[in-house]
Amino acid sequence: MTLNQVAISPVFPLWLILLLLSLGLGAALFQYWLLRKRIGNPRAVVLSLLRLGALILLISFALNLSLRTRKEQKITQSLAILLDTSQSMDLPGTAGRGSRLNEAKGILLDGPTPLLKSLTERFNIKFYGLGESLRSLEAEDLAGLKTGGREGDLAEVIDRLADRHSMAVLISDGNLKWKDDASKRLPLFAVPLGDPKGYKDILIKSVQAPVMAFRGREVIMDITVKGYGYKGLTFPVHLKEGSKIITIKNVSLNDHSAEVTIPLSFTPEELGPHHLSIGVPPQFGESLTSNNTVGFSLRVMRDKIRILMISGSPSQSYRFMRMAFKNDPSFDLLSFVVLRTPSDIINVPLQEQSLIPLPVETLFSKELRNFDLLIFDNLPSHLYLKPIYFESVREFVKGGGGLAMIGGPFFSDEGRYNGTPLEEILPVRLNEREDYRRDSSWKVGLSRAGKDHPITRLSPDEGYNLNLWQEMPPLDGINLLAAKSSGTILLECGDGNLQPILTVGAYGSGRVLVLATDYSWKWYMGMVAKGKDNWPYLRLMERMVRWLTKDPSLDSIQITLPEKRGWIGQEMEIRFKAGEEDFLSGRKGSVSLSVFDPRGLKIKSQIKKTGQGNEYLGSFLPEKEGTYKLKIEAQANRLEEHLIIASPMEGLDALPHPERLKMISQTTGGRFLSKEDDLLKEIESYAEKKERRFIELRSSPLWERPYTFIFVLMLLATEWYLRRRWGLI
Amino acid sequence: VEAIVEELELRTSIDALKERRILTLSDTDLFFCPFLYMAGKYAFDPFTPREREILRRYIIFGGFLFVEDAMGAKGFGFDQTFRKEIKEILPNQELKRLPADHPVFQTFYLVGSMGGRQKVNPYLEGITIDNWTPVIYSQNDLSGAWARDKFGKWIHECEPGGEGQRSSAFKLGINIIVYSLTSDYKKDLVHHPFIKRRQNL
Repeated sequence: MTLNQVAISPVFPLWLILLLLSLGLGAALFQYWLLRKRIGNPRAVVLSLLRLGALILLISFALNLSLRTRKEQKITQSLAILLDTSQSMDLPGTAGRGSRLNEAKGILLDGPTPLLKSLTERFNIKFYGLGESLRSLEAEDLAGLKTGGREGDLAEVIDRLADRHSMAVLISDGNLKWKDDASKRLPLFAVPLGDPKGYKDILIKSVQAPVMAFRGREVIMDITVKGYGYKGLTFPVHLKEGSKIITIKNVSLNDHSAEVTIPLSFTPEELGPHHLSIGVPPQFGESLTSNNTVGFSLRVMRDKIRILMISGSPSQSYRFMRMAFKNDPSFDLLSFVVLRTPSDIINVPLQEQSLIPLPVETLFSKELRNFDLLIFDNLPSHLYLKPIYFESVREFVKGGGGLAMIGGPFFSDEGRYNGTPLEEILPVRLNEREDYRRDSSWKVGLSRAGKDHPITRLSPDEGYNLNLWQEMPPLDGINLLAAKSSGTILLECGDGNLQPILTVGAYGSGRVLVLATDYSWKWYMGMVAKGKDNWPYLRLMERMVRWLTKDPSLDSIQITLPEKRGWIGQEMEIRFKAGEEDFLSGRKGSVSLSVFDPRGLKIKSQIKKTGQGNEYLGSFLPEKEGTYKLKIEAQANRLEEHLIIASPMEGLDALPHPERLKMISQTTGGRFLSKEDDLLKEIESYAEKKERRFIELRSSPLWERPYTFIFVLMLLATEWYLRRRWGLI
Repeated sequence: VEAIVEELELRTSIDALKERRILTLSDTDLFFCPFLYMAGKYAFDPFTPREREILRRYIIFGGFLFVEDAMGAKGFGFDQTFRKEIKEILPNQELKRLPADHPVFQTFYLVGSMGGRQKVNPYLEGITIDNWTPVIYSQNDLSGAWARDKFGKWIHECEPGGEGQRSSAFKLGINIIVYSLTSDYKKDLVHHPFIKRRQNL
């Protein structure tokens, strides 16, 4: 111990301590003066010194004397072992060593002195699995470790671990997310896995395709195909819907590692959602074939609703319907009006006529499929249509087309439709005799189904809608019909024996409507006569067309699917809006979401209001790849949508990237280790250079030491003993 | 007018209903008569403001008005009163000469010359709103050319064109009625090549 090691930190002011010391010294001198006469000088000196010593020691406690020691300590370094567990680690590693994960396990566990054991002895080891997320592992977990998920974000991991570890060992095939501006605070020792030279694969790297297309218009997609180890190979890239090939194009690879982007195009003809896939046939020796296909959805819409209307004669019914259809820019109307019948006398040369032949052959043999809706308006069809065309009409409706029959004197063509395919598809039964009546005024009202049906629900407010229909003027002419059991009556008239006026039904994939009057235009002029607006008639006609053509805009539920691709284990969110009537109803639980996985099993899903009007947020967690069906139900409305959850291997470029590992390790100040290196030695050698020590300073107050007190007691005890012996006590 | 209805049934597929109805402008049933025919020779009492408003709504919201000055000369009483009234009813619209390619000249017949009892104007006038002409005005007295007595004889001679002019009057009359029921149907693209070919255009 040296004086340098002693430190003071007085508990009282120093002047007070000095004063006490002076008083102690004074007391000792006074004691000496008293005792010297009684016991002589030497004994008085001894007793006074003993007392003085004890007092000095006691007063010196106020100085808080302490003893300081310094000791140099070595820090045991904390080492993180990051083992890549993403899906690419399931692919073959270096020849003969199984998967890349097995190769990694071998590096850590194999050999007489396993690397993991040696590292554990020398370092504070913390073990992590690096997949889509970072998870902490125990060494015992290593044997049963499995791959899964997409590549991990190494830059983010470094940020998280830099404060906890002095360095890290990264065992990976190099398929990791990295960014150049990532933190470099954690030196990485990268151990590469896999064999880039022996890796053979062809993959669909990306598909640039629109999510929406218009029917009849060419859709162009950009497909990027990548290949490793197939220099000179030519192979087909196909676009499929289910198992049906839509288009195909050959691609050639001109290098060992090559990337080619090709355009693929097709013209969709069918409306609705299409689940398409771009694929490449598996090639001989491919390491991975599940990335040869990419699935995607394309919703085919109409640019315009194409309507073909054939009217039996010029009429107000035709003009007002024409006005309503022309009023809507999303409708494209082609109409033919029969201006004269074969029995009419026109009496002028052709040059003075504007009449054109009705191109029935072209329309019903070729062009019908190009329309969305066919309207027969009071048409005496036997004069113009061959029975064979009714078969075309049936096929048109069966395939998804819409058919509307508008009433009038020629509506049922004197029973000639009976026994034809047209009779089969209509939602009403036709009379064999004349069924048209103009002898009365027919007041029309909503049926029970009509109150909620999108065609006749002209306003979301139920009461207002009911009043609206009650205000409509009566009709001057109707066709007497009877609805089939398959038909739904929306509007009816009469007292007691109700006559269907507006009846709808379905046939095959299509929809059918019968409006049994040629006086619907009175609903237009009647409202105008009352000084009101003409919109109810225009809306009725618009909704008739949209309902018949299954136009999505009529859906009271509008859905917004996620823009980004969905992956297994990633929560998918869907926003949708219920229609005004569903929202206004305000009934709790009136909107529901059901999600069905690719096997058709209903899975757990959540739904909540976003707080923005009638918008809802639905979510579910996909656990399998494939097409999920989403069903949204709101009161009388329902919407089905599909969402593709990608295969984890889709688009996976699993080529081992040792050069990337090399770059990362160098960037972080670490080292790239080849498998031939003595890994332990390399790590230790680096660790030695980076070894850190610290000086430990310890302070030990004297009064905390028991022998100090013992010494004071000994001084006082000795003084007491000598006083007793010398007869002072 | 009966003669044109008969000819309409004879020549076209239109099934006309021969029925006499007496209506005033203030009658709400007016709106269920989508073709109004108004004719006269002399000045008439001006419409009341309410009648003007009714007629304005009728014309704007889909009705059709065919007006004839039967005087056989320009600028007389009926012509003056009608022009003044229609200006009051539709102040923002103008009665204009209909072009030769207006659909009213193509709806059934390809009409090149104006018929009528007199040939006062070689044209029709009309008020066009968007692609629809809800008001058509003739000063050639078409109805005079159509008029027959109960024995089937023509009541009036057509001057100066004679029977050809009468024939044109019927053609134009039929075209006007068909136009009121089909609007600009003949302007649809599908008709263009046929009409052009027949007109040697």
